[in-house]
Amino acid sequence: MRGLFKGAPIAAAVLAGALALGGCSSSGGKKAEEKATGDGGPRLKVAMVTHSGPGDTFWDIVQKGAKAAAAKDNVDLLYSADPDGGKQAQLVQTAIDQKVDGIIVTLAKPDALKDVLGKAAAAKIPVVSINSGAEVSAKLGALVHFGQDESVAGEAAGKELARIGSRNALCVVHEQGNVGLESRCAGARKTFGGKLQNLYVPGTDMPQVKSAVTAKLQADKSIDGLLTLGAPFAATAVDAAKDAGSTAKVATFDMNKDLIASIKSGAIWFAVDQQPYLQGYEAVDELWLFKRNGNVLGGGRPVLTGPAIVTKDNAASLAEFANRGTR
Amino acid sequence: MAQAVTAGPAGDERLARRSPLRRLLGRPELGALLGAVALFVFFSVVADAFLQASSFSTVLYASSTFGIMAVGVSLLMIGGEFDLSAGVMVTSSALIAALTSYQLTLNVWAGVAISLVLTLALGFLNGLLYVKTGLPSFIVTLATFFMLAGANLGVTKAVTGNVASDSVRDMDGFAAARKVFASQVDIGGVSVTVTVFWWLLFVAVATWLLLRTRAGNWVFAAGGAADAARAVGVPVARTKIALFMGVAFCAWFLGMHLLFAFASVQSGEGVGNEFYYIICAVIGGCLLTGGYGSAAGAAIGAFIFGMTNKGIVYAEWNPDWFKFFLGAMLLLATVVNLLVRRRVAR
Amino acid sequence: MSGLIRLAGVGKDYGNVIALRDVSLEVGEGEVVCVLGDNGAGKSTLIKIIAGLHRHDAGTYEVQGEPVAFSSPRDALDRGIATVYQDLAVVPLMPVWRNFFLGSEKRKGPGRLDIGSMRRATRDELLAMGIDLRDVDQPIGTLSGGERQCVAIARAVYFGAKVLVLDEPTAALGVKQAGVVLRYIVQARARGLGVVFITHNPHHAYPVGDRFLILKRGRAVAYHAKDDITRDELTALMAGGTELEELAHELGTVASDAGGEMAAEARRLGLPDGE
Repeated sequence: MRGLFKGAPIAAAVLAGALALGGCSSSGGKKAEEKATGDGGPRLKVAMVTHSGPGDTFWDIVQKGAKAAAAKDNVDLLYSADPDGGKQAQLVQTAIDQKVDGIIVTLAKPDALKDVLGKAAAAKIPVVSINSGAEVSAKLGALVHFGQDESVAGEAAGKELARIGSRNALCVVHEQGNVGLESRCAGARKTFGGKLQNLYVPGTDMPQVKSAVTAKLQADKSIDGLLTLGAPFAATAVDAAKDAGSTAKVATFDMNKDLIASIKSGAIWFAVDQQPYLQGYEAVDELWLFKRNGNVLGGGRPVLTGPAIVTKDNAASLAEFANRGTR
Repeated sequence: MAQAVTAGPAGDERLARRSPLRRLLGRPELGALLGAVALFVFFSVVADAFLQASSFSTVLYASSTFGIMAVGVSLLMIGGEFDLSAGVMVTSSALIAALTSYQLTLNVWAGVAISLVLTLALGFLNGLLYVKTGLPSFIVTLATFFMLAGANLGVTKAVTGNVASDSVRDMDGFAAARKVFASQVDIGGVSVTVTVFWWLLFVAVATWLLLRTRAGNWVFAAGGAADAARAVGVPVARTKIALFMGVAFCAWFLGMHLLFAFASVQSGEGVGNEFYYIICAVIGGCLLTGGYGSAAGAAIGAFIFGMTNKGIVYAEWNPDWFKFFLGAMLLLATVVNLLVRRRVAR
Repeated sequence: MSGLIRLAGVGKDYGNVIALRDVSLEVGEGEVVCVLGDNGAGKSTLIKIIAGLHRHDAGTYEVQGEPVAFSSPRDALDRGIATVYQDLAVVPLMPVWRNFFLGSEKRKGPGRLDIGSMRRATRDELLAMGIDLRDVDQPIGTLSGGERQCVAIARAVYFGAKVLVLDEPTAALGVKQAGVVLRYIVQARARGLGVVFITHNPHHAYPVGDRFLILKRGRAVAYHAKDDITRDELTALMAGGTELEELAHELGTVASDAGGEMAAEARRLGLPDGE
């Protein structure tokens, strides 16, 4: 494939360049305005390429953070995503072809991205990695990694789950084979003390999620805790527990505004927030700092954006932010 | 099919030669029924919790969410067509109701009605595109599948600023709508989700429609040999459009369940489910090439699917192998189905 | 005159291609008119005109003495002219009785089928025409090709056809099956229907036909009553007279043997219980 289409990157670059020029002139008015409100540096172009599938709340918040930083730093942010490793690499390649000033990338499938990140280095484009891939980030030449160590987050969740009195819990995995989700469960298992089993459910079909959790609770009546790994699944787990007549306590990873209300009402005990907004925001800001001032955060270590535990005690103060879709 | 045969004496004698057993064996759903019984016995043995009434209710609920769609999809398949947009159309329908009622601050029933109209329009569009272009329905609905998946996300994000619809839980009419689409019904101490009853009702109506009405005759004819049907005056195009709208109706119903069971809808949901619906219909004896099948068969197919899905959880098998078991069970059920049908055909 | 349909000097062009020119034909009650011709002779154009699929450009087309110009097959059907196409006959997977009534279902109420009466009617109708089905619930695909054609024809008769137009009903059938269909054509004639029987096989046409129209390159090359023509003459005409003689000469004895076989075969198809 690669050998066959040697001309393709050039053609793509020409095309992308033409598109970029077209884009600039057509929206000049708004950009001029942004320039005026920015802090006066030269306008940078930063590409953010993630492995997100479409319609994921989490990545939506990451994007919002990135956009906020972009607006403040006078950065032109190009967002693209593909859950398929190979296609994500192609998207990074198009960013290189566009001669962006910086690339933000997630390293969920590091092997697929290794070559293309080498090309970015060769083109002297600084790369910042976010979310997953803390352990390979430096090796692949990223300046810094912003993310949550899933293991560390899992450990925090396990400790908290034990604190609220659960002894036999389920870790509800909504995407089988996702390394990040697996390590959350593994981390939780480490500090939990009790028994923590994994339950796999199809995340794209809510009724199936619900009936699978119900079925598991019916099969094993001694389960007294449910740890979901994404905010929308927590509410479903609460319903499922009700259906099964179970008193299992529900807790979750990640946040959204409905979740805050549920935590306030006590239906959900706590949420482990990795503050996705920070990942988007800090990544863009770091690239800006690097370009403007040569700054690098973290001292060669991943910068952790979480876990932040949200419980009934602090939920009220976060409600406003979650309603805005930034927490 | 249990009509009393009241023909001349000569006709009756000969009829007796084809035994009732053989007649039963010739039904499209029989293989699936045997497969379902085999799976039921299997899970009853390996999973202690499987035989509890409450567990059975959970299995039925899971089956009903596949089964409601399988009703429309199986009729469409008997009519010779596919609808790959069926999975995301469920999400579209739920989003339409959620977004319109929330954004316009309407009673949720208004959203329900708007969603019904628009979802039926989507089905009509699928049918019309198929009839007008003459392209295979596989291609036409693949296109609408992508368009709907994109529109679900794009519109939701443009309207709400998030990727999920806002919660309609505290809006007017929610409680009543929830009663209709997503309540729990107490049957002798076991709570059963209302979708199970709707599912059975839809299957009954579809069966009646297929076997006892002129429209049903047309469906079989349109799928079995469209040209021959057209030649004797069957409105094939109209029949097929109606079938696409039937799928849309089922999508609307399941969409309403989704919305009123979970209050807010994730815009990325539903992708991939269209294949499950088709699989249910095929396990239930519908021919992929059309012209043959039954709504009851598709219902049994959905039951097999729901049973396998949840039976694996009840059996508490190693979850790493979940999908493997799922595939193996499906293979088993379909092979039983196939063997039975081959045996009968001989 | 009991002419059901009469065509006089009928012609049809497709652009500058002359498909049919100056063809005359008459079908009366209880009469079988065979239209013979090789591929491309204009048989299907003639059928399409009679069936109402195409309109003729020249000549007149009269149904029961009234000039007509049909704009759709439905018009023709309404005048009692039913066409049975060889490949569009039935829906194989559907039961016999459903096929029989397809498109003209009997109903008890809005949409509700009157299944019992349709079953009975199917069985009785087929029995009356000499087809003995033990189970009208079996898929029609399980019937033999000839039986299937017969069901399609019986259906046309049942729904009030006065003239049956049969498009090569025996073309794809074996000897025995063709016999079933030919027998059936004779039955229809006995009921007083007019039949237009299109075929390219003189051995199928001769035993059942009352009159024979032979088409060649869009023209009628012969139109004979049965008394005026022998089977051999018909065969010769059909194959193109002198051309066949040449062919027979070339092939020598082989051809005559084959001819003998064909004749024997046709004799087997003789219909002792016909009339």
